[in-house]
Amino acid sequence: MSEDKKKVRIAFFDFACCEGCQLQLTYLNEAFLGVLEHCEIVNFREVISDKSDDYDIAFIEGSITRECDVERLKKIRKNATYIIAYGSCATIGGINGLRRRYTDEEAKEIVYPGREFPLEAGWPRPVHEVVKVDFFLHGCPVNNDEVVLALKSILLGKGYTPPTHAVCVECKLKENVCLFEKGQVCMGPVTRAGCDALCPSWGNTCYGCRGILDNPAEQGQTDLLEKYGYTVDDIKEKFDLYNTCKMEADKNE
Amino acid sequence: MRYVYLEKSDLDKMIQHLKKEHRVVAPVAKENLFVFADVENAEEITLEYLPTILPPKKYFFPPKQVLGEFTMGETKMSSTTVEVEPTVIFAAHTCDIDGMECLHTVFRNDPVDPYYKKIEKEIAVIGYECMFPCDECATCVTMDTHVPKAGYDAMMTDAGDKFIIHINSKKGDALISNNPIFKEVESGTAKEEIKKLRAAKLKKFDVKLKASYSELPGIFADSYDSDVWEGVGKRCVSCGNCTAVCPTCYCFDMYDEVKLDISGGERKRVWDSCQLEEFAEVAGNENFREERSSRQRHRYYRKFDYPVKKYNKFFCTGCGRCTRACMAEISLVETVNDITKENKNV
Amino acid sequence: MCDCCNESNTKKQVIEVDPQYSPMEGTIVKTKIMTETEKFFEIKLEGGKELGHMPGQFVQFSLFGIGEAPISISSSPTKEDKSTFEVVVRKAGVFTSAMHKLEEDDKIGVRGPFGKPFPVDDLKGNDLIFVAGGLGLVPLRSLINFVIDKRRDFGSVDILLGCKAPKDRLFTDEAEGWNKLTDINHACTVDQSDPEWKGNVGVITTLIPGVDINVNRTYAVVVGPPIMYKFVISELLKKGMPEKQIILSLERRMKCGLGKCGHCQINDKYVCQDGPTFTYEELKGLEEAL
Repeated sequence: MSEDKKKVRIAFFDFACCEGCQLQLTYLNEAFLGVLEHCEIVNFREVISDKSDDYDIAFIEGSITRECDVERLKKIRKNATYIIAYGSCATIGGINGLRRRYTDEEAKEIVYPGREFPLEAGWPRPVHEVVKVDFFLHGCPVNNDEVVLALKSILLGKGYTPPTHAVCVECKLKENVCLFEKGQVCMGPVTRAGCDALCPSWGNTCYGCRGILDNPAEQGQTDLLEKYGYTVDDIKEKFDLYNTCKMEADKNE
Repeated sequence: MRYVYLEKSDLDKMIQHLKKEHRVVAPVAKENLFVFADVENAEEITLEYLPTILPPKKYFFPPKQVLGEFTMGETKMSSTTVEVEPTVIFAAHTCDIDGMECLHTVFRNDPVDPYYKKIEKEIAVIGYECMFPCDECATCVTMDTHVPKAGYDAMMTDAGDKFIIHINSKKGDALISNNPIFKEVESGTAKEEIKKLRAAKLKKFDVKLKASYSELPGIFADSYDSDVWEGVGKRCVSCGNCTAVCPTCYCFDMYDEVKLDISGGERKRVWDSCQLEEFAEVAGNENFREERSSRQRHRYYRKFDYPVKKYNKFFCTGCGRCTRACMAEISLVETVNDITKENKNV
Repeated sequence: MCDCCNESNTKKQVIEVDPQYSPMEGTIVKTKIMTETEKFFEIKLEGGKELGHMPGQFVQFSLFGIGEAPISISSSPTKEDKSTFEVVVRKAGVFTSAMHKLEEDDKIGVRGPFGKPFPVDDLKGNDLIFVAGGLGLVPLRSLINFVIDKRRDFGSVDILLGCKAPKDRLFTDEAEGWNKLTDINHACTVDQSDPEWKGNVGVITTLIPGVDINVNRTYAVVVGPPIMYKFVISELLKKGMPEKQIILSLERRMKCGLGKCGHCQINDKYVCQDGPTFTYEELKGLEEAL
C-alpha cells in the first residue's frame, strides 16, 4: 500500500461495547498525526460527525449481538479492503461473552429484574464469528502502542500478527516479581502478550483480556495452578470474564 | 594483582568514589526479590541477595538494542551507533561473573559483535563473594562457580568488620585506588586470610547435583532420547521465563521499527526465547522443535552439551534462576538428577 | 530497567560501531517470473563489486521497514558477468511477498555471503550426482553451473530433478541446455503429470535406480524439502553410498547470519556457519536436522 499516492481511508465502527477503545485511540494525539500523513479518517463517531462509505480499512469495535448488527457488519465487510477487529469485545467477545452463560429470560432477570419490556439483546459474538477479520488488536482497552505499530505495519503492506506467546514473556523482562509468588492468581501464563504486561506491572493481576494462547499447555497450566494451590475451577470466574465466547465455542467444536 | 582492605563503614565512601566517573549498578531489593539497578548510595544496596530477577547480562546485551537507523527506500543504514556509559557492576556474584564470561565467549568471537564489544569496554565488574549458599535451586558448587576465579576487575570478600578486595585487572587497579579508604595489604596476608574464610565458607555449601562437573558432558551425551524430556515438556507452559532470566541465554530476534510518518526507522534486536513455539519455524510452517519437550531439551543442551563442544565451557552457571522463575516448577536440579539417575542405572 | 533514575553525571556517549548489520546496496538488473510463486532476480552490488561467494552460500536480503530474509544464491561464481549474482525467491511470507513486488532498477539491501559452501575441493576428481527437489534446484544450480564451467575437474555428472508438476519446473531453458551436453546426464520427473508432459512421472527416488554409481568415487549432492531427504538418502544408502559422500543443504530461518541469534540452530550446529551445507554423516542422528 505504501506505493499508493492516495491516502488510505480509515473508518471506525462500534457495535456492542463501551466505546472505551475508541476513546483510548483519541489519546494517541501526535502519534496519530504522524500516521495521518498516510491516511485519512472518514468515520469516527467519538471525534467526527461526518460519515462516509468509502474506506479501505474498517476498525470494528464491540461484539456482534443482533441480527441488524450482522447486516451492518456484512455491509462494512463489503466496503472495506481490510477489517481490523479491535478491543476484546470485537476480538474475543470480551465481557459481553458473559451473556452466553444465560438464557434470554435469565439475562433479562439479572440485568433488569422485575421489568417488563421486549429484550433486544441477542447472542454476543466476536467479529470473526460473523465476517472474515484480517487483523486483530486485542485488549480491554486496546494498547495504543500496539495500535500504532499495527497500523504502520499494515500501511507498509506487512500486515500485523499479535504475539503468540504468554504475557509472562513481557512481564519477566520488566523484572516484575511474579504475582503468583505474592499469592495472587494471574492469567498471564495463559494469556496472549502484546500489552507489555501492563496490569502485572502496576500490581494488578492479568484478567486475560487479550484472549487465551492459541496453543496453551493443558497439563502444564493445570500443574501450575496446583503448584500455587488452586484448581481450574478456582480460576474459572476470572477466566470467563473475558473468554466465555472462546470457551463456549470450544465446547461446541 | 594486589589486595586492599575496606572498612565496612566506608562502603558508601567507596560507592561515592566509584560514582565520580561511573554509573554504578548494584543489587537492590524489589519486594521480596532483587534486581540490578542504578544506585546513589550504599544504603540502597543489598549485599546479601538471592540472584537478581534478570542477570547483569542486561547491561552487556540490552533486551532491546538499536542496530542502526535507516531511511525508507535506502539500502544502507544511515548510522550504526551504540550508547555506552562507563559503568561499574557492583557486587556481582561469582555465578553471574561466570555468566558474563560465557557471553564474552560468544560475542567476542567468530565474528566479534561490535555493539557488545564497545559496551563491554566501558563496564567494570566488582564482584562480591557469597559466603552462604543462597537456596535449593543453586548448583554453583557442581558448576564450580561458587568461588571467585576470573572474569572480574575486583572481588570483595566479607572478612567480618572489613572487606578484602582483590584487584584483578588494570581496570580494577584504576578503580580501587587514589582514596585513603582503600588500605593496601600485603598479598600474602590477604591470601592467607581469604583462604581461611573460604575454608569455613565451603563447609556451608553442599552439592545438589548427583553428577560431578566432569561427568555431566557424558551424561548429556547419552540422554538425548531420555523420557525425562517428555515429562519436562508436559509441564512446560512456554512462558519463556527460564531463558529470559538465564545469564547465558543470548538468542535474539531482529525487527524494523518504523517512525510514525513511515519515513524511516530503526533496525533492532530484541531478546528472544527458544522456548516460544515460533522460534524454530521455517518457511512452509515447518517447525523443527514443535514440541515443548524438544524445546526444553534444546535449552538444557545449550547449557550442558552444545557449548561444551563449541566453546569447551558449560553455559550453566548454577545460579538457579531458571528453576526459581519457572511457572511450572521445572527444576534444573531435578531434571539433571533424573537423567543422571537413568544414566547411572544403565 | 529504569534508566530514568540514573542521575550520575558520567558521560553517556553515542559512538560509531562497525556497520556489521548494515547491508550493501544491491540493484536489481533483471527479473523474471519463473512460476506462479517463484521469481528470478539478478542483482548487481554497488560499484559492480563481486559478491565473492561459492556455491551453497546464502545472503541476507534486506528491505527497510520490512526486515531481512536469508536467500540461497543460485548463480555460480564462475558466471561470466562477475558483477552480478542471481537468486530465485518463492513468495511465502511477508518479506518474500514484498520482494516479489520489486522490478528492474529497484534497490535491495544485501548482507553476506554467509555459510559454508558445498565442499567443491572434495568433489573434484569425483563422479557427481545432483538431486534437486522443487526449490532445491535454486542453490544446487550454483554448483551445477560451477561444475559445468570447470567440467574437466570432475568425473561423470548426473542431474536428477523432481518437482510437483511440469508448471513448477525452474530454469527449464538451462535444463534444455544440459540435455544437449554430451558429458552430462539429466533426468527430470514430476509427481503429477499434465497433458503436455512427455517425461517421467513419479517421485524423485524413482530416478535413482537408473544411475550407475561407483560408490568409491561418487558424491551425491541433494537439495530439496525435508521430506525428500529421508527418501533420497535411504535410496542412496541402499546403493552403498558412504554417508560422508552425501551432501545436503538445509533451510532455516537465519536472522543474523553470524552464529549468534540462535534461530537456525539444530542440535549443536548453527546452520548459518556450520552449514547450510552438511554431509549426511554430520547430520545423521540429529533429530532436529531433517
